[in-house]
Amino acid sequence: MTDAVTTAIEGFFDEDLAPLVRRMADRPRSSGGGGDDESREIRAMVWQGLVGLGALDNSDTVQLAELLGSVLYQGPLLDTLTARELFQSDAIGQAPVALAVAAEQWSSQGGLINARRTFVGFAAEVDYFVVGGVDTAGLRLALARADHPSISVRRYEETGRGEAYEVEFARTPVTAWAGSSAEWERALANARVRQAAYLVGLAQAALDHAVAYAKTRRQFGQPIGKFQGPAFRLSELSMHIDATRMLVHDSDAAAHAAANLAAASDLARTVTTQTMQIHGAAGMLSDDDAQLYYRKAAVESVRLGTPSQLRRESWETR
Amino acid sequence: MMPVLTPEQQHFRDEVRRLLSDEAVRDEVAQARRMPYGQETGLLDVHRRLGKLGWLAVNWPERYGGAGGTIVEKATLTEEMIRHGVPDNVHTLGIDIVGLAIFLFGTPEQKERFLPGLARGETMANVLFSEPGVGSDLASLSTRAEPDGDGWRLYGRKIWNMKAQHSNFALCAARTSTGPVNHFGITLFLVPVQSMGVVIEPHWSMWEERFDIVTLDGIRIGREDVLGEVDDGWQVLNKVLPLERTGLDHSAKAERTLAALREHAPTGCEQRLMQLETRVRAGRLLAWRCVANLHDGRPDEVHSATAKWYTSETAKEVAVAAVELLGLPALLDARDPEAIAEGVFDAALRESPGLTLAQGSSEMMLFFVATSKLGLPS
Repeated sequence: MTDAVTTAIEGFFDEDLAPLVRRMADRPRSSGGGGDDESREIRAMVWQGLVGLGALDNSDTVQLAELLGSVLYQGPLLDTLTARELFQSDAIGQAPVALAVAAEQWSSQGGLINARRTFVGFAAEVDYFVVGGVDTAGLRLALARADHPSISVRRYEETGRGEAYEVEFARTPVTAWAGSSAEWERALANARVRQAAYLVGLAQAALDHAVAYAKTRRQFGQPIGKFQGPAFRLSELSMHIDATRMLVHDSDAAAHAAANLAAASDLARTVTTQTMQIHGAAGMLSDDDAQLYYRKAAVESVRLGTPSQLRRESWETR
Repeated sequence: MMPVLTPEQQHFRDEVRRLLSDEAVRDEVAQARRMPYGQETGLLDVHRRLGKLGWLAVNWPERYGGAGGTIVEKATLTEEMIRHGVPDNVHTLGIDIVGLAIFLFGTPEQKERFLPGLARGETMANVLFSEPGVGSDLASLSTRAEPDGDGWRLYGRKIWNMKAQHSNFALCAARTSTGPVNHFGITLFLVPVQSMGVVIEPHWSMWEERFDIVTLDGIRIGREDVLGEVDDGWQVLNKVLPLERTGLDHSAKAERTLAALREHAPTGCEQRLMQLETRVRAGRLLAWRCVANLHDGRPDEVHSATAKWYTSETAKEVAVAAVELLGLPALLDARDPEAIAEGVFDAALRESPGLTLAQGSSEMMLFFVATSKLGLPS
């Protein structure tokens, strides 16, 4: 089922690189300076690797997104794939792009945009923004160069300790306009399917981490995975992951994108919360990946809408 | 994944839907669900109509009363029958368990003798497996088959059986030898249940259909009515029971309850409904993955356990949610003139605890997945 590009990328994330990828956008709490620069270098290297292996031209982006989730990849690739559905590749080449779209008012007179957008990923290192906003013409999408001096960014202090930014566009020139809002709806549905697949991958990785721990951690003279309490909980999670994976890889997935993403969102938060429980206090330590899955799931599971927003939308549009 | 139906398979689904939507069928089904307490149906006209067309066991060869179709047509039929509310135990017991066991392990003579009647909807069969205290540990059964000339006499008590009072024969598991390994020494017998030496008593429950207590009091069975090898019945059960465990029946039940719930739920329930709808959709995909596995000749026990656990738990969740969303009116029985959706919510609520117990309890599925899929220590 896996295509050649995804297989090659799977090989790229080998056992040496995978631990670095998992923390490629996670500012350590304790480090003074330097941690950020090192992470930025890793992100640049991973981006080059992914582009070189054909990630931008991959036909099965859902499978790819699941793989990215399983290594906890953090970077602009998923936003860039969405941007490429909206803008011709000759406009953006192979450059990284961040989505800064919200159904909020903006002004876009004379080809200059004024808008403030929140929770934009990797704003400090992309080449372009896709900026979206609503005015009398409805929802429209503009492509803007990220290096223009009219743009200012501020990184949030947040649970994920990642690369999430507030971005201010003050008379920023538009490079290109995208088509209709129907195209955005289509691209958003595909982005949501990929985000759901990413969360399935993340959930599977968290579960694998919990299962491995349950096999080795001993209490009362036996591995904790031998007790039916933890064992059954892990089994249930494993089957929920399997079920959600069926949803995101179904040929009909985009038609149910919002509802599927809501399910994947619930899944990721549940699995990572249970992974914490299985690990006990050891999972809270900064060098344990359990807390990493837990925090990243919190961010990634609401990136393209909260489950309740998604379900409401899904109900209204069905 | 949902298998892509061929035009012929899609046509078959349309034809089955047409037949099951027929007014006479709808009336018969509604009536069956409103029978006085303590009474229940056996074979219905709809079974005979489907049987006449070769559809009841559509995947069996024509010589045994089928239509030479595949497991995909069979799954389609099961799904549509449940969606249309046809009571499914008759079909599950006769075709999916006993018929399948005979089809896979019977002698040519047994197949000729038993299968056409089942496939035509003219005869019924049930199972006599469980016993007091046996529960999920089926290999601990103690019904005895004592040698009697070239045959055996059966002695023991079977419980949790259904439809024995309507059945022509039953597939009965009994012990032909004892030893240190429980799984060895079990033999399967095809037993004429409406005979001297078999006593059937009702065991009333909250469900629509009664359980039977069947006492085997020395009924004599000949060598020709042993299914499979003597002492090796466990192998047959192990092969047949997982094949029935696709979760498709539970998935279709969840769909039926949810469809009615969607129609009757007040505004404000949209979020919960969408959550349930997504779960039901995922369950159906898991069930059809098992059907596709069987079609490809590659049954997968982890997939089966996953589908069984997920779909039965989902069907139960939908049934419980109906009460949560609709309140007291959801609890009206089909026999009450004010019943909504023909009492489907009440019936689902009373049926659903059994779904996560029968065909392998949820705990058995969880244990299997924990040890076989996740590799946790047992």
